[in-house]
Amino acid sequence: MCLAIPMQILEVDGFNARCEAKGVEREVSLFMLQDQTVEPGEFVMVHVGYAIQKVSAEDARSSWELFDQMLAAEDA
Amino acid sequence: MMASAKTWLERIRKLPLPEKIRIMNVCGGHERSISAAGIRGALPPQIELIPGPGCPVCICPEEDVYEAIHLALEEDVILVTFGDMLRVPVNVSRRDVRSLEQARAAGADIRPIASPTEAAAIARDNPERAVVFFAAGFETTMAPVAAMLCEGAPENLFMLLSGRLTWPAVAMLLDSGEPGFDALIAPGHVATVMGPEEWSFVVEQHGLPAAVAGFTSESLLAAMYSVLRQYIEDRRFLDNCYPEVVREDGNPAARARLEQAFDVGDANWRGIGTIPGSGFALKPWLAQRDSVTAFGHHGGEERKRAGQMPKGCDCAKVVLGKIYPNQCRIYGLACTPRTPVGPCMVSDEGACRIWWSNGIRNRDVA
Ligand code: SF4
Repeated sequence: MCLAIPMQILEVDGFNARCEAKGVEREVSLFMLQDQTVEPGEFVMVHVGYAIQKVSAEDARSSWELFDQMLAAEDA
Repeated sequence: MMASAKTWLERIRKLPLPEKIRIMNVCGGHERSISAAGIRGALPPQIELIPGPGCPVCICPEEDVYEAIHLALEEDVILVTFGDMLRVPVNVSRRDVRSLEQARAAGADIRPIASPTEAAAIARDNPERAVVFFAAGFETTMAPVAAMLCEGAPENLFMLLSGRLTWPAVAMLLDSGEPGFDALIAPGHVATVMGPEEWSFVVEQHGLPAAVAGFTSESLLAAMYSVLRQYIEDRRFLDNCYPEVVREDGNPAARARLEQAFDVGDANWRGIGTIPGSGFALKPWLAQRDSVTAFGHHGGEERKRAGQMPKGCDCAKVVLGKIYPNQCRIYGLACTPRTPVGPCMVSDEGACRIWWSNGIRNRDVA
């Protein structure tokens, strides 16, 4: 249950952000990143609707590959 | 740029490995990645990878699940909980309501949620009703729960809290004198919030190699390589193999919310018993949100006793890494994801469920 997935920030409105991953959009709370600046285009790790840390675009990509692989293996 | 999984495997294969070395992970997410990528099979046979206490749903006390079921059945409340909790069985006869899912079928208003913000939203949308959030989880999940409470939730939102800290379970195993592992892979997203230092006791007090890992094969194999090298060279330190997300001091803002909302105290782990300093409890300023204060007990209190896994279920041993999932006597027989007997077969983070989902069908081959 501790998995966090990387999402890209589309829009920031106070502590709320609209984020996107693989075509799916979600509202994400930035409440726990309030001592960092977060801007559209950047990536965050999201767990249960909350951003828990910022990540680089490259690191975001490598974790997406992981999730695809994990889900594929468990479907098999 | 991090080396590829293949490179890490080659490096591991070149190490002068001992006859046998057991590496424990304490995160369901790690176990899922390891199983999905087939890392166990790719490693030299001397290396054993043991799934340890990494599933908050699995160790959520039976009395808390029982309490949630009866609260939802007997009071006029909306009970919300993370989806994984719905199918967790309690130890009552088959004629009685055994899970939140069954309670919902029996008419209770129980709603699965994916985020604490949904709990607050449901309370806001139903101002005339009481909403109880039954929240189980480790630090990574409890920080968002704390954030939601600190941000200011509606007054009709109450909490039935089963949050736990991960490291005290590992400390308990190490203090027992028979930990059953020689090195530790520490959980990446717990460390993202709490910082890696929380795990330094493994190295400093117990002299075991340890490394924080992320969830890709590269990061996990890098961490395994690190602890193997530490072991072989007898040079122990806490390595951080997930630096791209795990900062030196974790996420201080998230930790501040945890401290603001929760105290830490002794807490029961299902099938295991009380582990000192391992549970989150509401701070006094949130006391009026406690579901027990608001609605009283619903039988959960009387059920408190250690060892309450279902009969015949070896989840307690699986959670503590004493046996592999398929060494349980009823793995794949009476117990499958369709007919789960124990919580480890219910949750996506439960080792039994993960092994089964990744195609391990044979029992006791380890
Ligand atoms: S196979 Fe089922 S009964 Fe056995 S330990 Fe796993 S969850 Fe428990």
